Amino acid sequence: MTTALELRSVSKTFGGLRAVGDVSFSVPEGVVFGLIGPNGAGKTTVFNLITGVYKPDLGGRITFAGTDVVSRKPSQIALLGIGRTFQNIRLFGQLTVLENVLVACENRRRAHLGSALLRTPLFFRDEEEMTARALELLEIFDLGTMADETSTSLSYGNQRRLEIARAMMLGPKLLLLDEPAAGMNYGEAEGLKKQIRWLRDKFHITVILVEHNMQVVMGVCEEIHVLDHGETIAHGTPEEIRKHPKVLAAYLGEEEPEGDAAEAPPATSSPEGRDDGGDPQPPGPAGEAEGGHVAPETAELS
Amino acid sequence: MSPPLRRLLIASALIAAVIGLEVGFESIVPDAAWRQLALFAMVNVVVALSLNVINGLAGQFSIGHAGFVGIGAYTGAIVAGNVHVWIGGGSEALFKNSFLVMPPALIAAGLVAGLFGLLVGLPSLRLKGDYLAIVTLGFAEIFRLVIATAQTGGAAKSGVAGALARLGGQNGYAGPLDNGVPQYAGPFWIFGTVVVCATLAWRLKFSGWGRALRALREDEIASAAVGVDPTRYKVTSFVISAVGAGIAGALLSSMRDGNPTVQPDQFNFAYSFDAITMVILGGSGSVTGSIVGGVFVTFTVKMIEQLQGLESVQALKVAHPSLDLNALRMVVYAAVLIGLMILRPEGLFGERELFRARRRARVKAPVLTEKGAES
Repeated sequence: MTTALELRSVSKTFGGLRAVGDVSFSVPEGVVFGLIGPNGAGKTTVFNLITGVYKPDLGGRITFAGTDVVSRKPSQIALLGIGRTFQNIRLFGQLTVLENVLVACENRRRAHLGSALLRTPLFFRDEEEMTARALELLEIFDLGTMADETSTSLSYGNQRRLEIARAMMLGPKLLLLDEPAAGMNYGEAEGLKKQIRWLRDKFHITVILVEHNMQVVMGVCEEIHVLDHGETIAHGTPEEIRKHPKVLAAYLGEEEPEGDAAEAPPATSSPEGRDDGGDPQPPGPAGEAEGGHVAPETAELS
Repeated sequence: MSPPLRRLLIASALIAAVIGLEVGFESIVPDAAWRQLALFAMVNVVVALSLNVINGLAGQFSIGHAGFVGIGAYTGAIVAGNVHVWIGGGSEALFKNSFLVMPPALIAAGLVAGLFGLLVGLPSLRLKGDYLAIVTLGFAEIFRLVIATAQTGGAAKSGVAGALARLGGQNGYAGPLDNGVPQYAGPFWIFGTVVVCATLAWRLKFSGWGRALRALREDEIASAAVGVDPTRYKVTSFVISAVGAGIAGALLSSMRDGNPTVQPDQFNFAYSFDAITMVILGGSGSVTGSIVGGVFVTFTVKMIEQLQGLESVQALKVAHPSLDLNALRMVVYAAVLIGLMILRPEGLFGERELFRARRRARVKAPVLTEKGAES
């Protein structure tokens, strides 16, 4: 499998705060890749580094399909084929649902400003093709009937789906989803899981997922990278991550029966790790001590 | 009716209307002061339409629009005056000669203003925040003061000082022979320009370009994330806006029944502020709103000036010599604006347009074989 995205010793400091410290991982093409960690672990910062909103500290390298990303502007990175959604939904509020999606193909059109001002046949053809494609995408995300509504009037879940539709309009090869399941109930999250897999198979894209909802993460990701306090603490398949002592420590903040406590990061983030026990099954042998904590939250989710 | 045919019909109707106005304007509006006001209102409509591109659509706050109008006015006056002398236009500005004078004047004014727009916009639009407002304000004032304070005495200056001296300083520029800028811009040119500018502004707004600008206004980070380069779109729309302002300026300086000298103080901060008022009042981002706003503000300002001439107001001034009538005017103006903002905070039209049904998604989505993952 070829590598879609590669981060090599990427760091980012804001003033004295080290948000991301020396993170390296590579995402194989075509996988659904999970990037998880307690609140404040630097997951969204990593997304912002990949999409060029922030530039990594000197020495960090990010390459997408072999192309260097660090030296490019966010809009150029997007056009390389990296689409994203945002943790705090960022839609174009005053624009309609359809217009929101259409903006994402602005750079793909053949009819440019002059064509638009003269209203040449090319302009109309372009507009028609783009609209058809946009409506098709809206249909996929069940937003077809709302095409003419202002995007702010949509419900929260629909706004989240619209963000994904907009990112897909870009025709990306890599899709970054920042907490797509936030605020979703169990059924909606199950739907999202299917949708993510379906998108990957239909459009042959790679997906990176930042998510707190473990039901979604464990259910859909094939490979998971765990951050805590900006640093990598684990990397592996969902099964490996589920049992990983450091991960459990980071999320639950328990003293480890195996004696890992010394190297485990401090337990500051445990109160925030609200969804993390969402493991459908109780953890394996290594997690015995945590079983008591996980069970009630599992019950809450299902 | 097919779209091209309909377009052709609308275009011919508009051309006929504009020619009709050229011929019949004096009989429709016999009073010269009102004619001047009507033409001035149309010039202001062009100013508002151009400002709407950067302020309303792209959401970048430019508060020095008068500077670009001024550059266009001086450029237009210089070109129009010199072409007039060159073709031997004589003392009267004939309509047939206007076809030789106005096109170069308008084009030159648009180009020069656009060039200055690029110079101002390129550095300031790369920055985030309100730098554009500060830079445009500074630019407009610098432009005005450089011309107003130029030394006009002593004929034998050369270079930049000489060129500036020929612009007449505080007294204004009155053509190459100092006998007034020829007033070629009659109803045909002014109404015609309004029609062309309004059409272009409308098409700009309802195209992918306009959509990208509005997206940029709503969220810069998100628009960059879908491939819209903020700097490029902002700078281009700022230049477009400056070109429009320059063209309006050229119309203003050549306006029939208008002031035959171009004075720097016409382009002070108050005029920039009026331009912003026109856009906001009509509805930020709305093309028809800018047209209505331009007309409304022009007439309101005029009405308030007329109010000052009322006998009762004059009597008040005699009774209380310390009363500043100019300040009173601003108070009334402010009251009108505050009233409107309370009644309609989003402007008269908001971002909507007059005469425009909500656009239905006209293209039917193809039926999908597999539908989503919801199934």
